[in-house]
Amino acid sequence: MKHLLLYIDTLSEGYIILVTGLTVVFSGLLLLTLVFKYGLPLMLYVYKIISKGPDKKVKEISPKVNEEFTGEIAAAISVAIHMYLDVKHDKENAILTIKQARKLYSPWSSKIYGAYKNRL
Amino acid sequence: MKKVILIFGVLSLLIFARPVLGLTSNSATATVSTTIVDSESAAEKSFISETIHGIQQFYQYTGFANAESGNLIMILVGIIFIYLGIKFDYEPLLLIPIGTGVIIGNIPFVAGNQTGIYEAGSVLNYLYFGVVKGIYPPLIFLGIGAMTDFSSLIANPKLMLLGAAAQIGVFATFLGALYLGFNLPEAGAIGIIGGADGPTAIFLSSKLANGVNILADGTTVKNLIGPIAIAAYSYMALVPVIQPPLMKLLTSKRERLIRMKPPRAVSQKEKMIFPVVALLLTTFISPSALPLLGMLFFGNLLKESGRTERLADTARTKLIDIVTILLGVTVGASTQADIFITKDSMMIFALGAVSFVIATCGGLLFAKFMNLFLKGDEKLNPLIGAAGVSAVPDSARVVHAEGLKADSQNYLLMHAMAPNVAGVIGSAIAAGIILSFLS
Repeated sequence: MKHLLLYIDTLSEGYIILVTGLTVVFSGLLLLTLVFKYGLPLMLYVYKIISKGPDKKVKEISPKVNEEFTGEIAAAISVAIHMYLDVKHDKENAILTIKQARKLYSPWSSKIYGAYKNRL
Repeated sequence: MKKVILIFGVLSLLIFARPVLGLTSNSATATVSTTIVDSESAAEKSFISETIHGIQQFYQYTGFANAESGNLIMILVGIIFIYLGIKFDYEPLLLIPIGTGVIIGNIPFVAGNQTGIYEAGSVLNYLYFGVVKGIYPPLIFLGIGAMTDFSSLIANPKLMLLGAAAQIGVFATFLGALYLGFNLPEAGAIGIIGGADGPTAIFLSSKLANGVNILADGTTVKNLIGPIAIAAYSYMALVPVIQPPLMKLLTSKRERLIRMKPPRAVSQKEKMIFPVVALLLTTFISPSALPLLGMLFFGNLLKESGRTERLADTARTKLIDIVTILLGVTVGASTQADIFITKDSMMIFALGAVSFVIATCGGLLFAKFMNLFLKGDEKLNPLIGAAGVSAVPDSARVVHAEGLKADSQNYLLMHAMAPNVAGVIGSAIAAGIILSFLS
């Protein structure tokens, strides 16, 4: 009986963890979403005002980012740059390697054993 | 100099040869002579039998004598892992080290010679220390952070919710494990398989189901690190097999054809702010996940700061490679048959499969649910919901491939990366919550 009670108790605690856990995960990531959706542009806007304030009027600074310039364009440009840098070498390797054609001495291919064969 | 060595050599030779030459003290010679007299009589007979006895004793120490069916089954499993990794290219960087580890861990040996991974003092045991104490996972997360580009997530923050939706797999499995009779900490560790994140699974199981902790009612928790890690990694490798049927089942052809508008370009400033802000927010919510999330965002800051390229480069190449090798082999070796082949392991494997299914469905259905509130070109292609189960970057790749099957011009990879990395953050937060509840 006690064991059964313990079992039910564990399960109810499990449900509590299930509900709180899911709520916390969701609310946590929702908070992140909201911060990055609204907080980050605001921070950048404030930063723009602080850094460019003296030169420009606040009205002229737009909080909007350039909508035309999408991530796909950025990706295409970065691929192009990557490929270009991959092909280009501004420093050539100064060490030239020429494959050694002459074999090092080995008794397996030595002529001397062939030459003395008749004498042995 | 040569002379000194020569003299030293001769002296040491004399010292070693002294017993042979009979230069020892009288009492010693007396015993030697008696034993010689004793043994000489039996020498002719016993020489051959002694040799046979020696060979027999040697045989007792070989793997052939100690092999049990469990060992052979696990060795076969290891070979299958290696085969899957090579032939089908399912996460070979994980499956080949783990498969080799499984073989190493299941070579039969005589206990007590500090050979096996579970024997204190053996070399494998020292390497396994990093798994048991949860040292390797944060290092892997450092490398993942230095590899990951969060820009698609910054461009479209609402996709973060898909990463949260897939965590339903974690908690559903947790409940399932409780119903199957596991106690709370063990169930928590098993649940995290649904997070589809190997390092997180190892981290949490090393804290909760490590075979050391003692529960309130006086019993010790079982050591489930091996089965949980193997289940998590093998299902992660099987993502290309598990996910596509579910995607087809839960989405209509029309939904799969949805084209999402390209994400906006993200400035470097935003990318730099992201790891700092996300670190602060997530760890304040779930401080127990600090080792994982702290290292993840630290690695990302190294990458994005633009000043620490060297450190980022090491973290995402050499460091993560070293840790992956050690982690893979030791996790594989921890599947020593006498400890691994149990009813619990089988149940964990079954629960793991269920959790992957639930997590994928959770992501897909939540993406459809979000579509109810979104209009026009804001609509999501529900396929990307499936990428909410971390398994970076494999599940994003699967989503991309499925998208291409429906429409050969629809490139979903960039969109799928957002819920994918959000899934990593989500499962780390979930791990932190479970840890704070149960430890």
